[in-house]
Amino acid sequence: MPNSKTVNVGFIGNPNCGKTTLFNAYTGANLKVANWPGVTVEKKEGMTEYEGQKIKLTDLPGIYSLTSYTMEETVSRECIMSSDIDVIIDVADASSLERNLYLTLQLIELGKPVILALNMMDIVEERGMEIDLHRLPEMLGIPCIPVSARKKTGLSILLHAVLHHEGLTGQDPLIHHHAEKEQQSSHRHNHHNEYAMVYDDMIEDKIDILIDRLTAENPDLPNKRWHAIKLLEHDETVMKQHPVDLSGIADRSYEKDIINQKYDFIEEIIQEVLVNKDAKAASTDRIDRYMTDKYLGLPIFLAIMAFVFFVTFTVGDWMKGYFELGLVWFSDLVSGALSSAGTNPLLQSLVVDGIISGVGGILTFLPNIFILFLALAFLEDSGYMSRVAYVMDDLMGHLGLSGRAFIPLLLGFGCSVPAVMASRALEHPKDRLKTILVTPFMSCSARLPIYVLFSSMFFGKYKMLVCYSLYLLGIVVAIAVSFIVSKLDGSKAEQTLLIELPEYKSPNAHTIFIYVWEKVKDYLSKAGTVIFIASIVMWGIMNLGPHGVVSDISESFGSIIGKAIEPVFAPVGLGYWQIIVALISGIAAKEVVVSSCSVLFGIANITTAAGMSSMVEVLGSMGFTAINAYALMVFCLLYVPCMATMATIHREVGKMRITIAFAAFQLVTAWVFAFLVYHIGLLLF
Amino acid sequence: MNLKMGKNRQTYTVKSIRLELALERRLEALGLTEGAPVTILNNDKKGAMTVRFRGTRFALGRRIAEHIDVEENVSCQTPKQ
Repeated sequence: MPNSKTVNVGFIGNPNCGKTTLFNAYTGANLKVANWPGVTVEKKEGMTEYEGQKIKLTDLPGIYSLTSYTMEETVSRECIMSSDIDVIIDVADASSLERNLYLTLQLIELGKPVILALNMMDIVEERGMEIDLHRLPEMLGIPCIPVSARKKTGLSILLHAVLHHEGLTGQDPLIHHHAEKEQQSSHRHNHHNEYAMVYDDMIEDKIDILIDRLTAENPDLPNKRWHAIKLLEHDETVMKQHPVDLSGIADRSYEKDIINQKYDFIEEIIQEVLVNKDAKAASTDRIDRYMTDKYLGLPIFLAIMAFVFFVTFTVGDWMKGYFELGLVWFSDLVSGALSSAGTNPLLQSLVVDGIISGVGGILTFLPNIFILFLALAFLEDSGYMSRVAYVMDDLMGHLGLSGRAFIPLLLGFGCSVPAVMASRALEHPKDRLKTILVTPFMSCSARLPIYVLFSSMFFGKYKMLVCYSLYLLGIVVAIAVSFIVSKLDGSKAEQTLLIELPEYKSPNAHTIFIYVWEKVKDYLSKAGTVIFIASIVMWGIMNLGPHGVVSDISESFGSIIGKAIEPVFAPVGLGYWQIIVALISGIAAKEVVVSSCSVLFGIANITTAAGMSSMVEVLGSMGFTAINAYALMVFCLLYVPCMATMATIHREVGKMRITIAFAAFQLVTAWVFAFLVYHIGLLLF
Repeated sequence: MNLKMGKNRQTYTVKSIRLELALERRLEALGLTEGAPVTILNNDKKGAMTVRFRGTRFALGRRIAEHIDVEENVSCQTPKQ
């Protein structure tokens, strides 16, 4: 019976249980998914329809429990308790049922209709386990629907169950009469056997008395049992909302008793419904023996990263060759068409030397970017990322950061924007600030075109080594800076790493596709917007001067601005006005450094072999050598992050002062390191 | 003894947790309560260690591990009622 009213469904579950994948499967949205906890920090909404009924879905942050100790828990709890949610879909990772059922028991106590979506059933089967799907709903008293978000099975059955149970809306406890099966149970409180979770007599007696006191206080209060349990747990929020007299009943918090009894019940459930559970997890333990080994852990991580960059450069460069051929063909085609049409030479120059050269040059790096993200997606989806936090924890601890902070740093290899946002997962404000400060030092994918271009031009067969060295330098600078800052502010490493290590799984093609496609789309839209505009602006700066259109480039605005700043950059080997203008333009987006170079030096298709060799010639005639090139790459690695990153930093730290101080610090760091590299290089070679 | 002093592939029972409230609560929500069995997976390093409790693997920082008192679990199995 289609209802004109929209049914509001909340997705809730443990971190890393596949909530977001399931949400994406329904809404067609492409939210980011990763196999490590804490990806969803804010709630996301989407719409779907089932048999004519409109359903609004809300994806909530992953949480382990409904207490209110962390930001995520508070957000999720408030949302679920509010009238915004009619039905709760509790997404559980069926392959890790024991952990997931704890939240389920808490949700059931809330009194709203709950439907358990058993996700990752395919993995359960893969591991040779079985879940008794008849016994589980009997014991929990709620519908349990097996789904696979990755394979998109069970999706419509789940929605069917949602609509079927939506009618139960109301905040009274869910009542179901399980048969006389309680005999072997340790939880006997016979007058309460309509609840799934029955505590021992002591707790149940206290609950009864508190319900009486709550009723006296507020007879219309829905779901008094839940409130009574929360009062027993001394939950701050509920105690403030309902200041009931707890004396004689809950003089201390009974939270530990309640938690333990819930886990006891879960153990009972697991004993009954999970068949062949010891076969579980053997393979993850075997892999972890190497990945988390005392000595092998770090080398394995470095080797994996080296392999990622190796593939990015070799396979990426091979594919890039074809893109370059296409670019030359296209640019010749347009140039020919424009001149045969008798277009104004100035306009022709704008289109061919400005736009096609700038934007096209960036597009030829698409294969490198594609492969880098493919590799990162693979690492994230397999479950390896959180091991890195563990492997790096000792080292990071010595340097004053928690191992957990290494995850934002790693994400920084992709893009600084999500990396800066990921620092939210850190609890200590000082840790967060430090991590935000150093995250932009990690070499993001936008710097890749700069490295590829300049290392190919100046370092020939060593180009891959040069690029890898820049990635390592980024990590070293990030770590060194956080070490120094920690020394200065006197904070000691907390050594309070606490992170789930999920089971390894074979990465899912769809998840990886979404991840990579998002990044490729970002890259393309950046080429079409920021880089497109920057290319036009660059062309304008080069071709216009104080007296209008210039024929001599040295009279252009670009030259005037660049030359004014030259003295500052001369000591670091970058005292060339074209390079300076390119660096300034790179603040719009780092790739713009490359597109600007091609416009600034007037070289069409700079990324092709011919373009590069003419660029080397031009630069060589200015005295710009491999040492200058390395200094330039180091400067690009470390200097002010792009505008999008600065905006994100500003949003996260909330103070203009700090944002500006961070940018200034990064600029100085870049200058100092480029200075060192340049002068050490001059001494050595 | 505390958890950090434990041996690999041994199961221990949590006796008490001596950490600041917020952290203790987070551990409890994950099921690491008094009486909970914890199996050490890898305690080779000086710092963090990996453990399994309530069916899930976790990495625990050194300070957390040192502030969880445990006792050896004779049967190496969760006691059944």
